Amino acid sequence: MIELKNLTKKYNDFVAVNNLNLRIETGGFFGLLGPNGAGKSTTIGMLSTLYLPTAGEILIDGEALTRKNTSLKRRISVVTQEYSMRQDMTIEEIMEYQGRLYFVPSRERKKKTQELLEFCDLYDYRKRTVRKLSGGMKRKLMVCRALLTEPDILLLDEPTAGMDALARRQMWNLLKRLNHDRLTILLTTHYMEEAEILCDQVGLMDRGRLEEVNTPKAMIEQLGQYAVDWMAGEEMESSFFQTREEAIKFLSKASEEAALRSTTLEDVFLEKIGKHLENR
Amino acid sequence: MGILTVLWEKWVEFKRDFYKITLAAMIAPLMYILVFGMGVQTLSYGQSYLNFLIPGVVAMTTMNGSFNAIAQNLNVQRLYEKALDQVMISPTPLWQFVVGQIIGGSLRGIYAGGVILVLVLPIGTGLCFNGWSFLVMFLNGAVFATMGVVVSFYAKSHTDVPRFSNYVIMPMAYLCNTFFSADSMPHGLREIVGYLPLSQASSMIRRIANREAFSHGGILILFAYLAILMTMAFCFLYKKRNL
Repeated sequence: MIELKNLTKKYNDFVAVNNLNLRIETGGFFGLLGPNGAGKSTTIGMLSTLYLPTAGEILIDGEALTRKNTSLKRRISVVTQEYSMRQDMTIEEIMEYQGRLYFVPSRERKKKTQELLEFCDLYDYRKRTVRKLSGGMKRKLMVCRALLTEPDILLLDEPTAGMDALARRQMWNLLKRLNHDRLTILLTTHYMEEAEILCDQVGLMDRGRLEEVNTPKAMIEQLGQYAVDWMAGEEMESSFFQTREEAIKFLSKASEEAALRSTTLEDVFLEKIGKHLENR
Repeated sequence: MGILTVLWEKWVEFKRDFYKITLAAMIAPLMYILVFGMGVQTLSYGQSYLNFLIPGVVAMTTMNGSFNAIAQNLNVQRLYEKALDQVMISPTPLWQFVVGQIIGGSLRGIYAGGVILVLVLPIGTGLCFNGWSFLVMFLNGAVFATMGVVVSFYAKSHTDVPRFSNYVIMPMAYLCNTFFSADSMPHGLREIVGYLPLSQASSMIRRIANREAFSHGGILILFAYLAILMTMAFCFLYKKRNL
C-alpha cells in the first residue's frame, strides 16, 4: 500500500504540491489527473525519490521511502515523462543496464528481456541504438525496462504520450493485465479516456492540491450520466443529466446542432478543473 | 555489485568508442612530446628536456583522460538525456555509483597515460615506470574523475563543463610541473601551484621515472583531494532536494 501523508513540495515560494494525502491500496490502479503544472509529475518525482519532499512523508507498506532505502526502491519501477535513456546505447544494452542496476540475476535478465522485447515488438530492433528509435518505440522500451525488474509498484508519468492509437491500445492491454496480476499502478495522464478505461480510482489535482478522489464511474454519476452538447452562439456548451428522459427533454428544446451522448471522465475534468482554468 | 554495474557501463562505452578514445588520448600529448621534447631540443636541470617532459605529459594525460571520461558524459546524462534519473531511482546505492564512476574514470586515465608510455617506448629514454608510477597515475585519475563527477553534478548547463575545463583543467595542465618545474615560479604562486593535485602527481611520477626517492606526502595530498571531492559528490546525491 502506498500512503502519502501531508506531502508538500515547495520550490522557493512556489508550492508545487500542497499537503497531499492519498492512499493507494496494493493492487490498485490509480490515475492522477490535472492540467499542466498541477503537481502530478512532482508527486511522481517524490515517489521516485528524485525530489525530496519539503514536508510530509511517503510510506510503502508502512515503511518510509527515502533515497537510502534500497530495499523499497527495488520494489518500485518508474516510467518518467522524458525518455531518460542513454541515446548511444542499444535496446539490448539499455535492458541489461537496467537489470544490473536492479540486481536482476543474469539468466533471468536475459530471459525476461527477450520476453518483453518480443511482446512489445522490439526484439528485432534490439541492436539498434536509442537515438535511432521512433518516439513510440522509445516509450515501449521504457515500459519494457520498467517491467524487467518485476516491480510491486509501477509509477507511470504519461506513459502513452507520443504513441499511435494501436500502440496505445496495446499498452492499455498490457497495463490491465499487469494490474490484474496485483501490480500496484500510479498513472498520470492527459488522456482522460485512458484513465477512465484503466483506473479503478482517479484523483483530480489542481494547483498542487488533490481536489477529489473517487472511482471514474462515481465521478461521472455525480455529474450526470447523460450529456447534451449544444451550440450557444459560436461556442459549444454541454449540459448533464441524471436520466436519459431528462436529457431527451432538454434535447427536444435545444437548437438543431445538439447531440446526446454518455458523459465521460473528460467532461468531469472539464467541469471541475477546466472551469477554474478558464476563470484564472 | 553496483560498482561493477557502472564499470560494465564504462566498458560498453570504451568498446564502442575505442578508436575515438585512443586517438583523443594520443594527439595532444604526442604533439607536446614531438614539438617541445624532440623538436626544440634543450636541457632542463642537467638532463634532456624530453626526459623531464615525458613524466609530466603522462600525468597530464591521465588527468585529462579521467576528467573527460566522466565530466561531459555524466553531464549529458544528467541534463540532456536524463538517463541519470534511472540510476537515482534504482536500488543501486548512490555511493557505489560514485565509486564506480571514479574507478572507471581512473582506469580511463591510466589507459590514456599508458598509450603515451607505449608511444615513447621506441625513443629509449631510460626512464623508469613501475608499480608506484601506476599507483600515482591511478590516484591522480581518481582525483580528476571525482572532480568530473562533482562538476557534472553541480553544472547548471551543458556549457559549464567546458567552461570549468578552460578555467581549471587547462591552466593546471600547463602550470603544474608538466612543462616546467613549479619551483621556478614566483614565491606565493609556487606554493599554491605546488599543492595542486597535478603538481603532486607530476612530481612523484618524475621522481620515480628518474629512480629518485619521492615524498609519500604527495600520496596523502591526493587522498585528501579525493576525500573532499567524494564528500561533495555524496552530499549532492543524498542531500540535494531536486536531483
